[in-house]
Amino acid sequence: MSEERGLFIYGIVPSDVEPTPDASGVGDPPGEVTVVRHGRVAALVSEVPLQGALGRPADLTAYQELLDGTATVAPVLPVRFGTVVTGPDAVVDLLDAHGDRFAAVLDELEGQVQYVVHGRYDESALVQRVLDDNPSAADLADQVRGQPEEATRGQRIRLGEIISQAVELRRESENRELLDTLGPLTVAGVARPPSNELDAVNVAFLVDADREDEFVDAVEDFAEQRRGLVLMRLLGPLAPYDFVNAHQLAG
Amino acid sequence: MTIATNDGQAGGALQRSGSSSGLADVVETVLDKGVVIDAQISVAVVGIQLLEINARVVVASVETYLRFAQAVDRLDITPRNQKGLPDLVQGATGAVTAGKAASGLGKTVGAIGGAVRDAVGELGTDRERERPRRRRRSEEQHDE
Repeated sequence: MSEERGLFIYGIVPSDVEPTPDASGVGDPPGEVTVVRHGRVAALVSEVPLQGALGRPADLTAYQELLDGTATVAPVLPVRFGTVVTGPDAVVDLLDAHGDRFAAVLDELEGQVQYVVHGRYDESALVQRVLDDNPSAADLADQVRGQPEEATRGQRIRLGEIISQAVELRRESENRELLDTLGPLTVAGVARPPSNELDAVNVAFLVDADREDEFVDAVEDFAEQRRGLVLMRLLGPLAPYDFVNAHQLAG
Repeated sequence: MTIATNDGQAGGALQRSGSSSGLADVVETVLDKGVVIDAQISVAVVGIQLLEINARVVVASVETYLRFAQAVDRLDITPRNQKGLPDLVQGATGAVTAGKAASGLGKTVGAIGGAVRDAVGELGTDRERERPRRRRRSEEQHDE
């Protein structure tokens, strides 16, 4: 059984980056991560069998951990998960054809990392808030409370719809406020689609390393102001996943 | 687990994770992101089977509405300030990861934050963080 193998590309980095020996990649068993260099840029890659399928949770995690780990020491341009080429020659071709563009983007990303600020409403605190703010919701709440669901289905749907719309409005303004508050401290910010009905904020930021402390302090203040209402999380430092779309090669 | 530094209410309001803390986060963070190198650009791109990974798309529906209405019901039963288990867990972790552990690198913080899982699933994120190091040009270059 001949095993055809390809090279999985994780990301593009400056050519002075090299993986630590313990870096492990996607696949089962995990592939060894190596570097293919060409000029000023290089690609982080590992071998994968072409027969197998990729995308297990462990694959996604390995991909992310490698890129996030890299982002803390060097600029990195994530390549879309699942990109596999025939071999090192193909990687060199790619770097040769697009090296200037990659190098320019990497220069821009130097010293920058991504953070994601994610907040989720505490459901009961949120619902209470909506009932307090909205008399017709409070009225409907009185009608359905303690009543069987079948008997009050219409009112329940109306009530739930009011709450749902309230969440959307609040989310929009929370995202805007977060972007306004942190905008001056960051290179860029972009709101991400909600991942849950109770999402309060979900924004990715590109942050200069020398302003990280300031940024984190500001996020903490933002979280503090919402204590009890929003469970706030800060993910990062991450590779700049949300800030490379403008540099897609397509077209 | 090292739950030590703060107790619940005294902790910061912000929970930190170095990297992602669960599969839901990973999927949301990496899926459909990054530079696209498709076959039109490089003929050497190989199609490989990708397992189907579904990012959650949030669409408000009657089910959502009814669930919110149930939350209204629960407001009566649940005394104020009492939270459900997931909230408690998250609250506790928030306290642990809060504060000035902050600007540090993800590793320790991430391990702690990893105790909190998103509903979608969990996976071990305790693996050593693989971190390519950067070879400075000034340093001696050794071949691999």
